[in-house]
Amino acid sequence: MPAVTDEELVRKSKEDDERAFGELVSRYESKVYSLALRMLRNPEDAEDVLQDTFLRAYRGIKSFQGASTFSTWIYRITANSALMRLRKKQLPTVSIENADEREAPVNIADWTPGPAEQLLNKELQHEMDEAIEALPPEFRQVFVLRDVEEMSNAEVADILDLSVAAVKSRLHRARIKVRNRLAGYFSDNAKPKHRAMGAH
Amino acid sequence: MLTCKEVLESLSDYLDADMKEDLIGEMKRHFGSCEDCRAEFDTLTMTIKLYKHEHSAPVVMPVGCHDRLVKVLELEKLRSKGGPPPKMV
Repeated sequence: MPAVTDEELVRKSKEDDERAFGELVSRYESKVYSLALRMLRNPEDAEDVLQDTFLRAYRGIKSFQGASTFSTWIYRITANSALMRLRKKQLPTVSIENADEREAPVNIADWTPGPAEQLLNKELQHEMDEAIEALPPEFRQVFVLRDVEEMSNAEVADILDLSVAAVKSRLHRARIKVRNRLAGYFSDNAKPKHRAMGAH
Repeated sequence: MLTCKEVLESLSDYLDADMKEDLIGEMKRHFGSCEDCRAEFDTLTMTIKLYKHEHSAPVVMPVGCHDRLVKVLELEKLRSKGGPPPKMV
């Protein structure tokens, strides 16, 4: 028997079918929690966002027009709720639109030889966590949706109500910021070879 | 011939294979002659690999999280149907 579609469950939920809404909750609660946790990095905050998201969805399901899919809609609510929390917690940051622009490459240490799992120790994980936490909230949203949840640029643009160009720009800058943090870690803790200096 | 500035701006597009074929060829040629830009690309690629590797395990909801969510929604149903005001959970 084919599974009931999200569209059908949404239609029934609009008619006050509590079981249909319950099914939507079952289908998406883990995904919503996962996205919230990866954005907020705190289980209590993630659970608050989970509850807030489904409360908003419950209250808003009758006005949901179906212009986007239910999954896009529920992720949009999640991302916005998480963003509000991040903004409350973070200190003001520099303008996100002109950070990290460079004209030319720096003489960056190459710490890449070897598989990722060999590099990844507890200390580096901590460094990476701190790098993510230091990202401006709008960058972190895009970084998590694209590089962790592995959504497409178009999906992320739809969820965040941004242009694809804006998603790509924020993603690139977020990646550069995280990379620069790791580069600092490796220059302090490892023995990288500097390609530009000509390793022999 | 791409400049270093143009290459740096396009690193993520190149990494995501979100680029026209002829531009990909130009990027490859630039990396062949510019070790600094090559290192920029390699370290950016590894950053994403490391991050994905760290977060490859699926997230599991804490015990009781689902039940607490159901409770919150049930209280909301009562409230919306004119029942007694719910206590905050």
